[in-house]
Amino acid sequence: MENVLNILFCLSLLYLATTTRVDAYLKVFVLQGILLFFIVIMPLINRPSVFTLILPVTILLVKAIMIPLYIRKKIIIELEVKRNIESNLQQFNFLLLTVFSMIAVFISSNMLAKYTYIDAIPFAAAFSTIIIGLYIIIFRKKLIVHVIGFLVIENGIFLLGISVASEMPFLIELAALLDIFVVVFLMGIAINKISSTFSVDDITALDELKD
Amino acid sequence: MYLILALLGLPLLTGAVFFVFDNLKIKYAFSIIVAAIHLAAACLVFSGSNVPDFEQWLRFDALTKLFLLILSNVYFWVMINSYQYLFFSPVAKPEKSRKIFYNMTNLYLFANTLALISNHLGLYWVALESTTLCVAPLIYYYRDKESLEAMWKYLFLVSVGIAFAFIGILFLTLSMHGTDAFEKGLYFSNLIANSTKFNMIWLKASYIFIFVGLSTKIGIAPMHPGEVDAVSNSPSPIAALISASLGGTALMGVLRMLQITSKTPVYQFSQIMLIVGGMASLIVTVVFMFRLNNYKRMIAYSSVEHLGIVVLGLGIGGIGFIGAMFHLIYNSLTKMALFFMAGNIHRNYKSREIHNVFSLLKDLRWTGILFLLAFLAVVAMPPFGIFFSELMIFQGLLANGQYVLLSAVLFFLLFIFIAMSRNVFKMMYGSTKINEAEINQTNKPFDEKLNITHLSTAVILCVLIAMGLFIPPALYNTVSEIAKSFNF
Repeated sequence: MENVLNILFCLSLLYLATTTRVDAYLKVFVLQGILLFFIVIMPLINRPSVFTLILPVTILLVKAIMIPLYIRKKIIIELEVKRNIESNLQQFNFLLLTVFSMIAVFISSNMLAKYTYIDAIPFAAAFSTIIIGLYIIIFRKKLIVHVIGFLVIENGIFLLGISVASEMPFLIELAALLDIFVVVFLMGIAINKISSTFSVDDITALDELKD
Repeated sequence: MYLILALLGLPLLTGAVFFVFDNLKIKYAFSIIVAAIHLAAACLVFSGSNVPDFEQWLRFDALTKLFLLILSNVYFWVMINSYQYLFFSPVAKPEKSRKIFYNMTNLYLFANTLALISNHLGLYWVALESTTLCVAPLIYYYRDKESLEAMWKYLFLVSVGIAFAFIGILFLTLSMHGTDAFEKGLYFSNLIANSTKFNMIWLKASYIFIFVGLSTKIGIAPMHPGEVDAVSNSPSPIAALISASLGGTALMGVLRMLQITSKTPVYQFSQIMLIVGGMASLIVTVVFMFRLNNYKRMIAYSSVEHLGIVVLGLGIGGIGFIGAMFHLIYNSLTKMALFFMAGNIHRNYKSREIHNVFSLLKDLRWTGILFLLAFLAVVAMPPFGIFFSELMIFQGLLANGQYVLLSAVLFFLLFIFIAMSRNVFKMMYGSTKINEAEINQTNKPFDEKLNITHLSTAVILCVLIAMGLFIPPALYNTVSEIAKSFNF
């Protein structure tokens, strides 16, 4: 069952590679938050208790509700962001790059799984998420899409944490989630200021500082 | 227990309570008190007072003690001088930024202290990320285009960098699988004691990710741009905080990783990575030093250079390692002096461009003299401390038989010296292309009075000379204890 969720996660990445709408990016991010919730809660079903539920519920709250709502309200609606993400790579090439990277990651993690302690599918899903997040930051121009790319990387890292069974103390997990939320909060404010002072909201505006 | 309250509780409480207050003078006074108490506590910890470790969550070994003292010292001087820069700001006074200034610096002190004294890798990561969040609004202090861009770049680059460091932490967990250390968790004490049993491939991968990720925050090449932009566009106290203390906090993570790998076969690889990082920083500094026209950027690049030298020293090991520790201390003092004086220049000339600043020694006598002295300190002139620590690092290179590397380092340092002194002497003596009448219109003659920034810079420079000539035994013992914990 967990593998199914992980594969769904990978499919959401493929959708990110094909779509050109900012709205769709946000929706995929919400979907990923919900998938993460299920992936975290799955092993806990046999031993339900209030304490173990706090972390998955916080994930759902932060990743699928609070951050998307904040981005939608503060940025997409207030700034009337144009619907198209601007890219400096053709859509088809981006898809090709994504697919090839994912294939490479899956093959290599399958090889790694033979002599180290990793589960091939969750590990590969996590690593492809991180890589696609990086691609989004590198090849898309809009700042808001960069923020979503950063969040996709964070999702990938979270997934990686689950796949390597790294048991961080509970409070630290919560603090890390809080940190991410504050980062997004500050980035949101910054984008707001940038689009009002530079009157554009993509990376081409930010070229004042150089040597 | 009371030490923990002074180190962590007080800054957190003050930072939180300040959100209710609005009076800047009260905030200033309280912040100085907090800084002084923090410094006193750091000195007590340094001298060996017993501190509870909260079930292994905190760690007070020699490395922590030294870094805590560096942070506390920098923060104390920055707080004392901050008022000058807040009230006589070079641009129109940004009210909103002033309101949150002391809130954020206090929270920064809390987060940074927590990062330094934590014994858990996860706790260190969370605290380090929090320091970025506290510093980012302060970079946007002047509320202009440049500072906005600098804040965005710093926030984004460093957040992605720290995310990469987290991947490194997860790889470290992978390398622990199957050993009994895995059950005990990511405590540094556990990691360092059991590292020989780890899976070496994953340990290597973990080291790469953590080093590359954290180097965005240390400010070494090739991940330096975010840091350079942030330092050169923020107000002087914040620039001093970032470049003199925050780099060290991020370096702490790399040092812990080095400590973990020090008994394993990965150690040699990690040394090579450090040396490559250090050399890359020196090359980048040489290239950019000649193209600069902004004196704050010049100091920011000098920060890249010196942290590069520190990382190089760490990579060499042995006496180079001891030199690197001293270099870190001296660099933090020198950077403060430079940034305080650069802030004075910016305030009077209202420009960060080198060609707008001229005849500094005549117009701003005190600032000019002290800036010149700080410049001499930063290019490692004797008797300033940096000279001796660089000498130790060179000695380490010689002892290892790295003659080619040594000559390359000396070559780069020579050209950095030439480029920097060209700029600085232009500022000291040069004249301008604008005619005299125009100067009199735009810049009224400065009548500089001796103020607290000059006094503290003079004190810092004196300390730097004194520490160069005579290393306090307590400091020497701590540094050699650190070297011992790295098996040198």
